Amino acid sequence: MPSTFFSSSDTIVAIATPPGRGALGVIRLSGPDAHRIAGTLLGRSTPLEPRRATFARIRRSRSIDQVVATFFPGPASYTGQDLVELGAHGSPIVLRQIIDAAVAAGARLAEPGEFTLRAFLNGKIDLVQAEAVADLIDSVTPLQARAAFDQLEGTLTDAISAIDARLFDVIARLEASLDFPDEGYHFVDPGDLVRELDRILADTRALLRRAETGRLIREGLQVVIVGKPNVGKSTLFNTLAGAARAIVTAQPGTTRDLLTETIDLDGLKMTLVDTAGIRETHNEVEREGVLRARRAQDVADARILVLDGSEPLDAEDVAILLNDQNSRDLCVVNKVDVGSAWRAADVPALLGRPVVMMSLRTGEGVDALKPALLQALGVEAPERDPVRVTNARHIGLLTDCIESLARARAAVDMSGGAIPEEFVLDDLHDAREKLEQVRGRRAPDAVLQEIFSRFCIGK
Amino acid sequence: MSDDFDVIVIGAGHAGCEAAWAAARLGSRVALCSLSRDTVAHMPCNPAVGGTAKGHLVREIDALGGLMGEAIDATGIQFKLLNRSRGPAVWSPRAQADKREYGRWVRARLETEPNITWICGKAGRIVIESDRIRGIELEEGGGFIPGRALVITTGTFLNGLIHIGPETQPAGRAGEPPSRDLAESLKSFGFRWGRLKTGTPPRLLRESIDFDGGVSRGTFVEERGDAEPVPFSFLTDAIAREPTSCYLLYTNEAVRDLVRAHVGESPLFNGQIKGIGPRYCPSLEDKIVRFPDRERHQVYLEPEGVESREIYVNGCSMSLPRAVQESIIRALPGLADAVVLRPGYAVEYDFIQPTELRRSLETKRIAGLFLAGQINGTSGYEEAAGQGLMAGINAARLVRGEPALGLGRDQAYLGILIDELITKGCLEPYRMFTSRAEHRLLLRIDNADLRLTPIGRSIGLVDDTRWSRFEARQARFARNREALQSTALRTPCGNRASALEWLRRPEVKLADLYRDGQIALEVQAGQEGLDLASLETTIKYEGYLRRQVATVERLRREEGRRIPEAFAFATVPGLSREVIQRLSEVRPDTLGQALRIPGVTPAAVAVIGAYLGRPMRPAAS
Ligand SMILES: Cc1cc2nc3c(=O)[nH]c(=O)nc-3n(C[C@H](O)[C@H](O)[C@H](O)COP(=O)(O)OP(=O)(O)OC[C@H]3O[C@@H](n4cnc5c(N)ncnc54)[C@H](O)[C@@H]3O)c2cc1C
Ligand SMILES: Nc1nc2c(ncn2[C@@H]2O[C@H](COP(=O)(O)OP(=O)(O)O)[C@@H](O)[C@H]2O)c(=O)[nH]1
Ligand SMILES: [Mg+2]
Repeated sequence: MPSTFFSSSDTIVAIATPPGRGALGVIRLSGPDAHRIAGTLLGRSTPLEPRRATFARIRRSRSIDQVVATFFPGPASYTGQDLVELGAHGSPIVLRQIIDAAVAAGARLAEPGEFTLRAFLNGKIDLVQAEAVADLIDSVTPLQARAAFDQLEGTLTDAISAIDARLFDVIARLEASLDFPDEGYHFVDPGDLVRELDRILADTRALLRRAETGRLIREGLQVVIVGKPNVGKSTLFNTLAGAARAIVTAQPGTTRDLLTETIDLDGLKMTLVDTAGIRETHNEVEREGVLRARRAQDVADARILVLDGSEPLDAEDVAILLNDQNSRDLCVVNKVDVGSAWRAADVPALLGRPVVMMSLRTGEGVDALKPALLQALGVEAPERDPVRVTNARHIGLLTDCIESLARARAAVDMSGGAIPEEFVLDDLHDAREKLEQVRGRRAPDAVLQEIFSRFCIGK
Repeated sequence: MSDDFDVIVIGAGHAGCEAAWAAARLGSRVALCSLSRDTVAHMPCNPAVGGTAKGHLVREIDALGGLMGEAIDATGIQFKLLNRSRGPAVWSPRAQADKREYGRWVRARLETEPNITWICGKAGRIVIESDRIRGIELEEGGGFIPGRALVITTGTFLNGLIHIGPETQPAGRAGEPPSRDLAESLKSFGFRWGRLKTGTPPRLLRESIDFDGGVSRGTFVEERGDAEPVPFSFLTDAIAREPTSCYLLYTNEAVRDLVRAHVGESPLFNGQIKGIGPRYCPSLEDKIVRFPDRERHQVYLEPEGVESREIYVNGCSMSLPRAVQESIIRALPGLADAVVLRPGYAVEYDFIQPTELRRSLETKRIAGLFLAGQINGTSGYEEAAGQGLMAGINAARLVRGEPALGLGRDQAYLGILIDELITKGCLEPYRMFTSRAEHRLLLRIDNADLRLTPIGRSIGLVDDTRWSRFEARQARFARNREALQSTALRTPCGNRASALEWLRRPEVKLADLYRDGQIALEVQAGQEGLDLASLETTIKYEGYLRRQVATVERLRREEGRRIPEAFAFATVPGLSREVIQRLSEVRPDTLGQALRIPGVTPAAVAVIGAYLGRPMRPAAS
């Protein structure tokens, strides 16, 4: 980490928009000299009016560009310091020249994440929000952006604060009962305690349950298409990818290697994997392909199991169906244009998995595919989900928190007699500390450094 | 120079007595200077020692070789283990003291110590030479006492001002003169200081109260204390005195109405008192005005000693005018004929902000000057005694050129007490609570010796008697554990299990197994309860204890990173001015301590951590 990383006494500058050519490029200056440096760049002697977009020219030796300059005086700015935003035309060369000019006027190039670090250090955002900023910038699809945005707005912080407040109340009452035993107060009723802990546990678990979905949204998910040869896997892959990526032939064993394509399924980032058909084979290349197909299944978040509906199921189909039951499976019964040799209800090996019947050739039933897939993934109505946890660190902390809460809950009414309060409290304090860590109130510096080094310049 | 005392202790209250004792036992030539030899270890308020967390402090003082545990065991007249129905980490001993006997016992013990020279007089001006202690001048031409270290433990005496209704009187305690010169001398060094307030209830004439009648009419509830007292000291075999009773009663509407009618005459409410009082120990006026929804408040009648004619009215601390106090007392159920011997009063006093202190309790500004007890903003005998002990130890060590002894928050309540004082300072009088201990499960009364006696031994404070008792207790513990392991029991469902395994179940109690004769154990007379507790706790709650030990180790790694003594916080980039100021005042010695300073954010500590993690840049020219 660069030695200047934690300094907020100088003025930093960076391009705030993603690299590459765009219609508009934004440059940000933050620090005590932000306004002075902006004045030098713009050749202005009159101060910029706070929070008012001002049309101006960037001057150096000759006129460079027309910009819109906005001055946000601290502490009411994103970083909490004086901040100037310059909106210029998006040419990388122009932006570079403006940066150079700013550096010549006394600014320093910002390190990755440094703007957000300053916002955090100045108490403008909490740790959850700081992480959300990184997610927002990294997000590829609208749904992902939405989840990150929720965190930025503090929805997660609010949900955790609500749980924390109730936990804090329980802790305070239990502590009082220990430190003031003789005051004639009845601080906690055992029945109330059990009920309240149950509520807190339920709420925390609900938050975590959303987390799984949240993680899929944030990281995107891998969906692997499996089935025996020639059932239509590659055809399905091409259909979903919207392009003829995979070679489709009538000859079994055409697909040998793994093929991947990232698609946007109603706002969900998804990496589709087409695989070789699974069967016993003596061909060395195909055998390697089958091996890779099996491995791809093991790491996938979900599978689409393709079956040929026009023929009776054989031992290979059943083996695939019974092997490794991923909790997120969708069965596609293809080639219904040729005929239906069996009914899904009659096949126990389907294990009650969701099934869609279709013909990829005629297009019959294909419309049902996307909704069925979203449902199988458990994200069918993402916009109605109020709070989402989308960060692996948060998920880990919430999991630990639930473990501590569950231990405390078990201890307050053990069949053989309750565990004394101070032991229960030990777990409740631990649980609370985990919640605090999600919010970053007492996060150790190692976590902070990890988070801030993930940032890209100028957010 | 040879005439110099090594350590001068000013004040013979609970802090001063422990300080003088510890320093003398460590070989220092000690001068113990106090206003009078009749008020040694005096209890100006509640005639009791211990209570939640305070009982822990006393056990720790005892485990290190201090006086308080033995003193109360010898002079206590009613013992009670608080929180007995709860877990072993919050069991706290408490005892009513025979107040006069207590003071006499402590004085007698100090008089056996040849290293202590008693000086009667009033300390005035502190004499220093290039920011180092030279000695102390007594007021009124009492002369100069030269010394290399000075421990000041003057309690509530610095500019003490007593209030009883509209009457005010400069005094350290009722009937004792305040210390003005000493206060001004301390302030002249530039210490940050503040003003606090505490109070005490009226005392009643014992013979004027019909206790038996009150009990039979149901207005009083008799409280007897434990039939089998748990002693404070690891050295005590048996509690000698016959238990005395206390009596519980409740305030009524008449009391409430009287307080409400006269609250304007209370210096607490009419602006006469500026000092801040303890929220955990409210006056009667406070209770009734601030908690109007509470129907009644507890009042305990406590004898101040076996022979004493005074009854302490616990729960009725007040500073109303004398006449109002009398009518309030007489309005209490069963006290219609009670005679008020002495009125309750409030006292305001100066204290020095303890953020001025190092962990050793030496001031940062003046080398060799130590402060301990209520002068540091604490309240309570046990808190005072604990600081006195640590200050006495460290004064002696300073004189001998030895490094200071500091206890960690994971080692002792004494460590927590001092850490919080020097880290946070005092905004109100400070009292210890078990909830202040984040590693509470490890800081139990039954293992205070395991935690601290080896430390006391290594610095030379634990004598051979205490040490051999400690070793015997450890050996006994090991043999008993062995016995539990090898004794097989038949469980109610007919299985066989070792007693040790069986004991892991929450409903199985070691005391039952032992009393039923199902298992043979070795116990020390008088210490039986705690011997069993140590065994049972370490077995039954092993998982909890192990997790807490793991936390301690993690914290030591994460937060224990040291900050150099002369570190210039202002050179760390990115810290706000307020944070730099807080850090520069407190000068934390570890990142962990920095994180506990109010107003210092985790982000700021992360910044310092990152800064310390790399070679420091040369100071800007
Ligand atoms: C009215 C009153 C009410 C209290 N109420 C409570 C309460 O409700 N709860 C609670 O926990 N605690 C209470 N306390 C506090 C408790 O008594 C003290 O915290 C504790 O006794 C402090 O011990 P110490 O050793 O610091 O000082 P003290 O016990 O006060 O001892 C001070 C010593 O210094 C000596 N001294 C003072 N000035 C000089 C001088 N210039 N030269 C030489 N000697 C000097 C005195 O003679 C005395 O020996 C109360 C105290 C008072 C006075
Ligand atoms: N009749 C019919 N043929 C299909 C259908 N879907 C795919 N096919 C054909 O089945 C053959 C195998 O398809 P392919 O996608 O390569 O199968 P894979 O081996 O599972 O990847 C090709 O000739 C496809 O044209 C369908 O719905 N109906
Ligand atoms: Mg294929």
